[in-house]
Amino acid sequence: MSHPKPQSSFSSTYGHLWFVLPGFAFFLAVMLIPLILAVGISMTNWTGFGNDLQFVGLDNYTELLSYWPFYRAAMHNAIIFLAILLFQHTVGLYLAVLLNEKPRFMQFYRTVLFLPVIMSLVATGFIWTLMLSPNIGLINPLLQTLGLGFLAGNWLSDPDLALPAIIFVTAWNSMGWAIIIYLSGLQNIPEELKQAAAMDGANTRQIFWRVVFPQLSPAFTALTVLTFIGTFRTFDVVYVLTGPLGAPNFATDVVGTLIYRTAFGGSSFSSADIRFAFGLAMALMLMLVMAGFCYLLIRVLRSREIEA
Amino acid sequence: MNNTIKTGLLAAVVASSLGVNTALIAEDTVTLSLWHQHPEWRAKTQAILTAFESEHPGIRIELEEIAGTNYSARLNTALAAGEAPDLFGLPAGPETATAAASGYAAELTGLLDTSSLREPALEAIDNDGKVFGAPILGAYSVGLYYHRDILADLGMEPPTNQAEFMSMCAAMKDKGITPLVVPASDGIVPSFIYMMLTSSVMGADGFADLRKGNRKFTDPDMLEAARFLQEMADCMQPGAVSTPYVEGKALAAMKRGAMMPGGSADYPGYQEINPAVDLGVVPFPGVGENKPATVTGLEYIYLVNAESEHQEEAITFLNWMLQDKAQQMVVDTITMTTNRNVVPSENRILEEFVQAARVNDVRVFYELPETGSVWNVVQQNAAALLMGEMTPEDFASAAQDAVKLSD
Repeated sequence: MSHPKPQSSFSSTYGHLWFVLPGFAFFLAVMLIPLILAVGISMTNWTGFGNDLQFVGLDNYTELLSYWPFYRAAMHNAIIFLAILLFQHTVGLYLAVLLNEKPRFMQFYRTVLFLPVIMSLVATGFIWTLMLSPNIGLINPLLQTLGLGFLAGNWLSDPDLALPAIIFVTAWNSMGWAIIIYLSGLQNIPEELKQAAAMDGANTRQIFWRVVFPQLSPAFTALTVLTFIGTFRTFDVVYVLTGPLGAPNFATDVVGTLIYRTAFGGSSFSSADIRFAFGLAMALMLMLVMAGFCYLLIRVLRSREIEA
Repeated sequence: MNNTIKTGLLAAVVASSLGVNTALIAEDTVTLSLWHQHPEWRAKTQAILTAFESEHPGIRIELEEIAGTNYSARLNTALAAGEAPDLFGLPAGPETATAAASGYAAELTGLLDTSSLREPALEAIDNDGKVFGAPILGAYSVGLYYHRDILADLGMEPPTNQAEFMSMCAAMKDKGITPLVVPASDGIVPSFIYMMLTSSVMGADGFADLRKGNRKFTDPDMLEAARFLQEMADCMQPGAVSTPYVEGKALAAMKRGAMMPGGSADYPGYQEINPAVDLGVVPFPGVGENKPATVTGLEYIYLVNAESEHQEEAITFLNWMLQDKAQQMVVDTITMTTNRNVVPSENRILEEFVQAARVNDVRVFYELPETGSVWNVVQQNAAALLMGEMTPEDFASAAQDAVKLSD
């Protein structure tokens, strides 16, 4: 009878890494190698066309520091982030609380509220473009029918309304995430805690703010970080609703559309302004800034979370 | 042998023979991929390709339509990645020159029969004595479309100058009619308007002077072009600066406005949206008392991918497209031809465009190296001008700064 070969100490310490290898190889191929190549290209003056390129070091990054369209676009991203954050932590939370009361037809409500999340933002964005149009849209006639004609406007062409319109469509599309994340948080709160608070004489409002809400801290953290990442990666909704130039007159331009225009051009007639390497530098700078902010957000928000 | 076995054997024989036939076809047939940026022409383009395939059974063309600005993004990426189609379109001039210099386009000098091409087309495809593309889809002019029935009902004639245009604009607005439909979301149509307005001031000779630095967009008379464009904003449909191209085209076709700037190649799209559309064409009204103007350019010329394994077949296709028969189909169904032997057989709109272009016609800016960047600057600043967030002086100054003077 043969005895199994004893496991070497190396194998017992690092053997599990074989199981990680396929995933790591995939990550290497689709993330790390392209990222390293991107860093390399961002230090050249490559237009994206042909093989004519020179190494320019950090020139693209230096230029980016004083490139005001980048700051303008980033400011629009920041406004979208704050507005969506506010919306999700108020309307999203409120709807999650309502659903947590297990009303009749809860599955139906949940499906309807989550539906926009699974729908293509390009397709729904196109429909919103048509609905918001002052010429053929449904929104203005609807407002007029409801006696709210004074609210009708040029939603996507008025610089004061265009960004709020983008925010509205983004909020509509992403509200399902807030509801689901908060709902799962609410469902994990032990009933005993609420009952104990009630026995101590707390009213419904006090139970919510003093007992339930603090327990939702992990959901708050997750949602805030996901919203931050999602809104700073915004591209499709702006591209579809207001075009590659972030109409009107760049009032809705976000970093995503700016990168797209810089790297691929905003015109089918002339590529004279295409600067692929500069666009890559923008994308990498955005990634770095986002990573830094995410780290800070997670640290700050985690420190406020209470132990479950 | 029972029926099941018989059926099975029969199916196997049929399947294997089909497989053999398919294999034979696959071996003999070369498939060329072709990218094109006018989805609205798909049926008409496909009809031409089908005619080619029936004459060349060994060559099949696989057409892929990619709309608008997505075309450049996808093509540039595909070229850089070595994944571009066998045949692709690019604007003549700087774009083609860049593709050639980058080694993406095969040189076609001496391989194309260009004997039927008109002189301007020959000039446009010439890159320092070398040819890299063929103008198989002809040329286009841009002018002012108008709904003949709307103007007839109002007892108006199409405008020829700024004063007439603005007067018509006021009269139409009084009657609740949108005078001008301009989809300005991507800045392209306002850029064409600005080209026509400056062309009305400087004419073809003045454009040549501008390229040499003897004329400027900031000259007092040229500044009036930017002023007129800004003034025109009041005549456009609500929300013009964020109206996407497709919506604008639909609005125009469905008579939601009386006039709209457009190219000769736009007509099939209008007809597709509204088969009953009754349009006429005139050159765009002149600035002040200047003559009205049109601008003309080549449709995307077609280049052969330098990495294509089927360059011979691609050149066969381009040469077939340059022949009279194919060009007749182009001019009868899609746009204007650059073939001197061909005239539209039944296309009133193209005839009107030819007439319009006789008044005062200038080449489109983006086809020339000196003014290629002007296009981009005008496109990006057009909304600011229309919204009054940029002065005509600043607008013209930005355009002038983008001119790269020729030696």
